[in-house]
Amino acid sequence: MFHNLIQLYRFTVQTAFTCLLLAAPIFGNAETINTNHKTSQISFAGEHAGMPFSGKFRSWQAQLILPPSNTPKIEASIDLRSAKTGDRTYDETLTEGDWFDVKNTPKGQFVSQDIQLTEKGYLVKGELTLRGITQTLEFALTHTSKGLTGQLKIDRLAFDIGKDSDPDAEWVSRYITLNLHITR
Amino acid sequence: MMNKTTKATFSSSAEEQLSTPQRYHSLAIMLHWLIALGIVFMFASGTYMLYGDLSKAEQYKLFQIHKSAGVLILLSVVARVATRIFTHPPALPSGLSGRDKRLSKLGHLGLYACLIVMPISGWVMVSASPFGLPTIVFGWFEWPHIPGISRNKPIETLARTIHWTTASVFLSLIILHLGAVIKHQYFEKINLIKRMWW
Ligand code: HEM
Repeated sequence: MFHNLIQLYRFTVQTAFTCLLLAAPIFGNAETINTNHKTSQISFAGEHAGMPFSGKFRSWQAQLILPPSNTPKIEASIDLRSAKTGDRTYDETLTEGDWFDVKNTPKGQFVSQDIQLTEKGYLVKGELTLRGITQTLEFALTHTSKGLTGQLKIDRLAFDIGKDSDPDAEWVSRYITLNLHITR
Repeated sequence: MMNKTTKATFSSSAEEQLSTPQRYHSLAIMLHWLIALGIVFMFASGTYMLYGDLSKAEQYKLFQIHKSAGVLILLSVVARVATRIFTHPPALPSGLSGRDKRLSKLGHLGLYACLIVMPISGWVMVSASPFGLPTIVFGWFEWPHIPGISRNKPIETLARTIHWTTASVFLSLIILHLGAVIKHQYFEKINLIKRMWW
């Protein structure tokens, strides 16, 4: 009886170890996250006429291959037509030629191959393309219980967004905050 | 026999109404006062949104309200002009001098012109504006921009000048319009209001 119990114990421990060993590559190696608007969120916020507004992209997808992978990479593609603030006037204006110009450039792209491990997550340096204009950006991604979060500020005028309508940022704030909530 | 009489009575009264109605058509009366109220609001909002001491947010909101109300007035003006064409207005009172009759026709024509030019120039201005902001009538339906003139600064400037100039002419005509009603009431004892009331 006693002997049987010890055997059962051994068997259990051995099985558990084997499982762990098999799973090691998944946990220990590079982390790859494939995500999109269904589980994660890319939202934006700014001010118009002194009134705060915010919205989110309802359609996008991204792949993140994170260090310690030797070839880390983040690639994201955002459907700019899917930007929604809940205000019809804003939403329609956003798609126009002077803003996202979705007729000519329906997608925004982000690509990075420079991702450093940091204490709390990663430091990402990459290139964002909107309206056919590419700018280099740097931001931190921080671990959370559910995944990763990050925040970055975008200078809309660097992408010629609203350049004709509001070049002095008299109405729409020049810097737009992007909030990233990536769920694993 | 009885049938004939009824018919005769009916047609004579209808004819009488057609040739010498005492007042404007009920629909015309309704539209007159509705539009009058609207115009008061348009002058107040138009002036206040440009020269009032407003925050940017309030100014933006008032612009949207001015645009929305202006579209509704444009639609009412179309109905008003149609009513004017398809109904018979009462003849001008015989107590008016020939000169006053001519002047009143001219004045009314001018008022109609302003009623048409004001909203149309506003619409052109908004359609040609570099902002390209849509007009969403009280969050209810979208009023389209006039095609082919988007982000056209010269046309926007021209429309703004017309909007402003017509507003000044319009205001003068409205003052003359009210002045005429008062003058005829007090000096010639001709009650014109009852022609435009039920
Ligand atoms: C009967 C109708 C209307 C009346 C009586 C009216 C009256 C006025 C007045 C008095 C002003 C101030 C003008 C100034 O001092 O420069 C103004 C400005 C303005 N109105 Fe109207 N309006 C009418 C219809 C419309 C419509 C339909 C629109 C647009 C859809 C519109 C858009 C504007 C705009 C954008 C301004 C500002 C002009 C500027 O930026 O200088 N209006 N209006």
